[in-house]
Amino acid sequence: MRFLKLLFVVLLVLVPLSVFGAQGDVMKKAKTIDELAKMYDSGSCKDCHAEIYTEWSKSLHARSIFGPAEVGRTAATIKTTIENGLKDWPSSGVKDPKDVGIKHLMICAKCHLPQLIEAEDSVAQEIVKNLYAFKEPEDQAAQNLQKLNIGCTVCHQRNAIVHKWKFGNPDKGAVYGSKDGEHASPDFPKMKKSPYMKEAILCGQCHGQGPNFDLDEPTQCATLYGSYNFAYRPEGGTENCQECHMKKSKLGHNMQSYRAMGPMAVDMKVEAMAYQWRDVVTTTPAASVQVDLFNKAGHAIPDG
Amino acid sequence: MTAKTKDGKVFFKDQRIYMPIPLQFGIGDKMGRGPYEKSGILRDTSLPPLRTVTEKFYIPVYNESMKEGKLARDIIANDFTVEVELWYLPYGKKEDEGNSQLWQKVTKNLSIEKGGK
Repeated sequence: MRFLKLLFVVLLVLVPLSVFGAQGDVMKKAKTIDELAKMYDSGSCKDCHAEIYTEWSKSLHARSIFGPAEVGRTAATIKTTIENGLKDWPSSGVKDPKDVGIKHLMICAKCHLPQLIEAEDSVAQEIVKNLYAFKEPEDQAAQNLQKLNIGCTVCHQRNAIVHKWKFGNPDKGAVYGSKDGEHASPDFPKMKKSPYMKEAILCGQCHGQGPNFDLDEPTQCATLYGSYNFAYRPEGGTENCQECHMKKSKLGHNMQSYRAMGPMAVDMKVEAMAYQWRDVVTTTPAASVQVDLFNKAGHAIPDG
Repeated sequence: MTAKTKDGKVFFKDQRIYMPIPLQFGIGDKMGRGPYEKSGILRDTSLPPLRTVTEKFYIPVYNESMKEGKLARDIIANDFTVEVELWYLPYGKKEDEGNSQLWQKVTKNLSIEKGGK
């Protein structure tokens, strides 16, 4: 009887912690890359939003832990993080790539794959194996890494609400956009308006402000939103991320960064003249050049 | 920025680097390299938004020597070209494949008069 009482108490404590999340939702953690990819698969969105899907598929969001298709720069940097960072830090708990778990990868994945927190360490290990196996963009390892991405439901569902005490947690059955209504999808039958969808802060959740102090080991990647708030806005700037990276660029959901946006973001004006300067006995041929660079973007160029 | 003679010989070269210089672990005086060790900004030379950054270059168009005990400055070329290029170079070297990207390029042809005193 005493044993049964104890078992009952243990179950009372363990069941809510392991099965239910903070909001009472059943939390099933992914055990493989494929399971995690399926949980955040954008494939079903394509049927009705084909043009947007095509745009998105060209973006870096579509290969957020791999990076540019030709070189896989992001994957290489995550591997470097393991080699030069995690393995080198005495208190990281990582002596070998086999020791890398979700908590370790989250120092990158906080932004590159925020849904990774909904996966078990087996997924972290699978990612690490592919990071080390990847040599060429055509490799199976590269393809595996590109299964994971910042897809539709990351921005339009998971991260659609920033202030969760004010507006509540994202409704699991809804996709968030610019209006309320029905949504013809069995997984997401509702469409809800997010107050953030057209605001810079939606992007600012990842395109950051500086060190990520919420992490035990703060990292710093993008600093765009910090620059937007503390440099662009004080200069009188009024536009936001979406206006330049989606509308003015005409790229829509193929949101691009420096390689596509840089040439349109910076004006360069050059004035040059040649002349001869003279003193009593020496003539000096010379030229002077003045270069004016004007950054029209909503943040410093580059950031980091 | 480069100055070249008509036959392509570079006789002047200079560059400016625009970037936030991150601080390694937010302490000391070393630049942090990867995102895993960057925390804070040590110095910032990036192009600030909605501002104009002006650079001025002086190009000596001469070779200097001493002739009969006097300083002489012999002109390199009367006609030459100045090229100003703005490159995006996120990492590595400009020559690395798939890395750097040319954003802007302006070419100016300049002349220095011949003759006279």
